[in-house]
Amino acid sequence: MKLMNFAAAAVTGILLSTTAVMAQDKPVVGLVMKSLANEFFQNMMVGAEEHVKARGDYELIAVGMQNETDFEAQINAVDNFITRGVDAIVIAPADSRAMVRPVKRAIAAGIKVVNFDVALDADAKAQQGLELAFVGPDNRGGAKMAGDALAQALGEGAKVVIIEGNPGADNATERRLGFEDTVAEYKLDLLDSRTAHWETEEANQVFSTMLTAHPDIQGVMAANDSMAVGVVKALESAGRTDILVVGFDNIPAVGPMIADGRMLATVDQFGTRMAADSIDLALGIVAGGPDLEGWVKTEIQLVTAK
Amino acid sequence: MSAHETQDVLAKPSPFSFKSIVNNAGIGLALLVLILFFSVTTEFFLSPNNITNILTQITINLILAVGMTFVILIGGIDLSVGSVMAFAAVIAGKAITLSGLGTAELILLAIAAGLFAGLICGVLNGVLSAYWALPSFIITLGMLNIARGAALQVSGAQTIYSFPYAFEEFGSMLIFGVPVVFLLALFLVLIAWFVLNRTVFGRLIYGIGNNEEAVRLAGHPVFWYKVAAFTICGATAGIAAIVYMARLSISSPIAGIGFELNAIAAVIIGGTSLAGGRGSVIGTLLGAFIIGVLANGLILIGLSDFMRQMITGVVIIIAVILDHYRAKLSSR
Repeated sequence: MKLMNFAAAAVTGILLSTTAVMAQDKPVVGLVMKSLANEFFQNMMVGAEEHVKARGDYELIAVGMQNETDFEAQINAVDNFITRGVDAIVIAPADSRAMVRPVKRAIAAGIKVVNFDVALDADAKAQQGLELAFVGPDNRGGAKMAGDALAQALGEGAKVVIIEGNPGADNATERRLGFEDTVAEYKLDLLDSRTAHWETEEANQVFSTMLTAHPDIQGVMAANDSMAVGVVKALESAGRTDILVVGFDNIPAVGPMIADGRMLATVDQFGTRMAADSIDLALGIVAGGPDLEGWVKTEIQLVTAK
Repeated sequence: MSAHETQDVLAKPSPFSFKSIVNNAGIGLALLVLILFFSVTTEFFLSPNNITNILTQITINLILAVGMTFVILIGGIDLSVGSVMAFAAVIAGKAITLSGLGTAELILLAIAAGLFAGLICGVLNGVLSAYWALPSFIITLGMLNIARGAALQVSGAQTIYSFPYAFEEFGSMLIFGVPVVFLLALFLVLIAWFVLNRTVFGRLIYGIGNNEEAVRLAGHPVFWYKVAAFTICGATAGIAAIVYMARLSISSPIAGIGFELNAIAAVIIGGTSLAGGRGSVIGTLLGAFIIGVLANGLILIGLSDFMRQMITGVVIIIAVILDHYRAKLSSR
């Protein structure tokens, strides 16, 4: 086992090309990210890299994965960090259950762990006897903010549809629930709710077809901005300017759409800062600060034309 | 491979032969049944708007499937087209957002860049698999990763946006309710049909799929024909990338994941044999329609996303089973 760990650590060392001797006085933070093919995590990674340069009082080793479902890579990364003896691990789990065991091992090894972006599963944590705070945005609350903006613009009883993210993904579920909260509160008429797997082209197709089935749609709630862009393009092709669209994430591409009214609103969860903020929290604990407790909510903000 | 077939390699084109008509008629009939079913079950299906929708929705898959038909006809497969499309879109997106050029120059540059990017990937696929006689399955699986990685690397995993207005217009332009991008796809189908049925090159593509050795012994440069088939497939991925950009006004490096499978499905449902040598691009057109009509109609009748996925899978399997019987029929 030790030999295997050693081999794994050696491989990681080569892969990360951070084999240089670490400065003894600086704490080392291991950052475990999700898919770097995703713009959102790529920006987060860039934010973390800028952060380490700006602060300069710690060392950062960042590991990403090939795709959203590459759980194995994350588990290996945590194990390698344990072997290396980093001071803190800051992790965005790819799977809220699969990561509980490795995180528990890290804590047992005396490493301070901060869980951000996606919360580890409460039941799995209880079963493993693990207590760990979560640092992250309230996806459900954020989606409700966007949904409420739509509902207030349309009024009670308006006819709406939801474009969902990947079925089974935690944030997709939370955002759908947030939209459904809005539907319930404003007594909206939910005509249809379908996934477009976070993707622009698929959202464009799925929404065009929904619009055919329900020409009387008044509002669209898309679980991310990439899909909202696809919806906006579908509305343009159909020549409809009377339908309001809200999204989530505030990617740069929707800036012009919100400015000229093609989109009503989106939600910014300041993803670029999220990893950096979590690193700050981790370094606070390493420096002797109190452990985090419960849910440390990060800032979310509704973005409209105003 | 019978002796009969080796002589048949350079036989006269047979798009209107009894066999070919029966083959395509079967698929056409299946499509007709689907259309009838959906027009009875939902009032919206045959509305002009919905027909425009379906034509728009099948365009990208149809363009990819036209190129895929060439590769499958020679007995190969190209798993990389979705990634190559994303790579070409990113390259074209970088080109079209350059500063200091006029709109027309930018658009032309982007189209050239996208086409070139797709073409190069196709040439690589063809040369690597044909030169070492390696399974194209593996080579294009490698290219799937290379092109996707390149798309992410070049774009820094960021979506590229804010294209010239004229370019975006092209993506949603209609002529009598028919999307211009669909007409472009249809034009590609016609060219492909002509090339496959009316040129020596086309007949040799079938020939290679039927009996590669016979074509080689007849003194034809099989290597270059294979490279050409993959190059055509790469080029169509480049064209699909331009259409994707024009329609959605963005270039996303994660676009097109799984598109290769839809394109392969359209070709196979269209009656082209995975073993190569048999099939037609008209079948591919019908296959793309069947997939598009299914996806559209099943949403209209309110079926859940998961059921929709299952039914699409069932249709693919039925198509392959039908192909099995067709193969038996035509070898008699």
